[in-house]
Amino acid sequence: MKRIFENLKVAFKSLNSNKLRAFLTMLGIIIGVGSVVAVISIGAGAEALITQNLQSMGTNVITISPGRAEPRGEGGPMRHLEDANTETIDEGELHLEDAIALQAKATLLNEVVPVLYGRNSTISYMSWSGQVSVTGTTQDFLTVQGYKMAEGNFITESDVSNLSNVAVIGNTVAEDYFGKINPVGEIIKINGKNFVISGLLQTIGTAGFGSDPDNSIYIPITTAQNKLYGTDTVDSIIAKLKNENQLDESTAEVKSILRIQHRIMPGENNDFSVSSPTQFLETASSVLQILSITLGGIAAISLLVGGIGIMNIMFVSVTERTREIGIRKSLGAKNRDILMQFLTESIILSLLGGLLGIGFAYLISWLVKTFSGLSPLITATPIILALSFSTAIGLIFGIFPAMRAARLNPIESLRYE
Amino acid sequence: MEEKVIEIKNISKVYKIENFKVNALNGINLNVTKGEYVAIMGPSGSGKSTLMNIIGCLDTPTKGTYTLDSQDISKLNDNRLAEIRNKKVGFVFQTFNLLSRYSAIDNIELPLIYSKGRLPKPRREMIMDVIISVGLKGREKHRPSQMSGGERQRVAIARALINSPSIILADEPTGNLDSRTGEEIMAIFEDLNLRGSTIFLVTHELDIARHTDRILYLRDGIITGEEKIKKPISAKDTLKNMPTLEDRISKLEENKNYEKDI
Ligand SMILES: Nc1ncnc2c1ncn2[C@@H]1O[C@H](COP(=O)(O)OP(=O)(O)O)[C@@H](O)[C@H]1O
Ligand SMILES: [Mg+2]
Repeated sequence: MKRIFENLKVAFKSLNSNKLRAFLTMLGIIIGVGSVVAVISIGAGAEALITQNLQSMGTNVITISPGRAEPRGEGGPMRHLEDANTETIDEGELHLEDAIALQAKATLLNEVVPVLYGRNSTISYMSWSGQVSVTGTTQDFLTVQGYKMAEGNFITESDVSNLSNVAVIGNTVAEDYFGKINPVGEIIKINGKNFVISGLLQTIGTAGFGSDPDNSIYIPITTAQNKLYGTDTVDSIIAKLKNENQLDESTAEVKSILRIQHRIMPGENNDFSVSSPTQFLETASSVLQILSITLGGIAAISLLVGGIGIMNIMFVSVTERTREIGIRKSLGAKNRDILMQFLTESIILSLLGGLLGIGFAYLISWLVKTFSGLSPLITATPIILALSFSTAIGLIFGIFPAMRAARLNPIESLRYE
Repeated sequence: MEEKVIEIKNISKVYKIENFKVNALNGINLNVTKGEYVAIMGPSGSGKSTLMNIIGCLDTPTKGTYTLDSQDISKLNDNRLAEIRNKKVGFVFQTFNLLSRYSAIDNIELPLIYSKGRLPKPRREMIMDVIISVGLKGREKHRPSQMSGGERQRVAIARALINSPSIILADEPTGNLDSRTGEEIMAIFEDLNLRGSTIFLVTHELDIARHTDRILYLRDGIITGEEKIKKPISAKDTLKNMPTLEDRISKLEENKNYEKDI
């Protein structure tokens, strides 16, 4: 016990008398541990964010997008060659009719909703104006997205068929333009055209990957296509499954209906793609995983370099303190005592580096949170991992210098200048 | 019969450097009884340090037997030797060999840290006892760099005494000190010897060796002579007649004034 205390005392005395050197030695460990913990935490934060977003979308929703999603394994030039030979249009389009066909024919789908996504438009109310993203959609959008009304009503079926100038606004828009006034019934201008506000959404909260759903205005898709943006296409069609366990069957049904709708011949590629949150989650987490492994590998190399730095400094320390070792041995220190003394010092050195590294990770996380809005999740696991890792590094890279110290001949050490 | 602390029988020490051998000690026979004060003298390279290292259990002889406190040391392993150094030997070196970052107390405490088993008294008390016995009271918090050579050697002696060793080994303890401070250190040894400590002193100064009871002369690894000192010099008495530097200076000034008066 008193020897452990003595070892700690010696270790701290020695580090204290060489503060700058100790800090520089620890730097490798600080950076290594800091980046390992930060990378894991940022990864965990990103995964949590994705899961949260997808859960808010619902795992029973599929999204149909225009254009082919994945070229099957061929590289770029090959793909162009193939495209030249076949007559498929690479950039397919989706139309309202596709949504109507799916709604009418699909047996495995509930609501089918065409969406014209977030066009940035100028809106104005009285003397205020600004840029807000405008989404065109239909009455079932609310159910499919799981949004709730705070005031008034969402777009109705007749709004869609009549190309009505009605708008439903998100919470942020309401706060920005109306403050505490109830916006329902007020008239706003979108790109110069008058719209009656028919409803106000409750705060949605989850930051989407595209535009912020709270800072959006929702209008009938027909109005958006014909009166505002002059297009007959839609950006995507989202559909709710009757049974979320029938993802593959539902996807297959959607594909076959759309192939007929788009007159795609057998053997030709789809000009649209179907994706689901589950799929997306898998892709996203595998990307995150690859990223984490890569960065983790770099961090591990930094830890290794840090460990070598510790070994180097410990060898220097042993040489510098040869006489001290001789003195201690002449006073009755055994080889084991000297070994433990130097091992304690190297472990303290790397453990201290580990602790500072965790502080460094907190700093990185804070920066990431402040500047990106993604909040990294620092859990106990990477911290415990980092601390045991740095202890192990101190042990592994400290053992050789400590053994050299322990084996020094007391008589020669006493004579060392 | 007097109790033998050190009993050395026909000890040799051979150093091998590559292909040729150096016979540092060539059959030494030596007994030291409890409470004795012995000096060893000899020219450089005669084997004094080698003998000291063997007596201090820092090294083992190539041939012969060495018994310390009726325990055969010649064939012990490193760990057992370390224990004996800790418990039975108190080293005092010419260069003090204190740890520079440690206060006097911390330096004196070192042998206790490596001691097995319970301490006979509370640690603080043990340390204060030896600090008082070497006359360092009030300086115990100071580091070696804040102390004079004489004070440093006192710390080293206190450290040597802390585990109540069977023998105190002093290798040229006054070699780095001025004559008055050296005499002060010799007075401490004298005092310790009067109180029963066995002391083994290495020196090349005859004036220092004459403080002891017995002088051994070493040459080429052999004890060539032995001299009993009937009336050892008392360091305390010498100090009484030795003027301090201040005395000297004031005397010189008196003389100057006298010259001026004339
Ligand atoms: N570690 C060693 N290796 C080889 N030779 C040594 C070693 N130590 C001492 N010697 C030799 O042994 C002899 C006695 O040395 P030493 O005991 O140091 O003498 P002293 O202390 O009287 O000057 C010298 O010739 C010296 O060169
Ligand atoms: Mg010598």
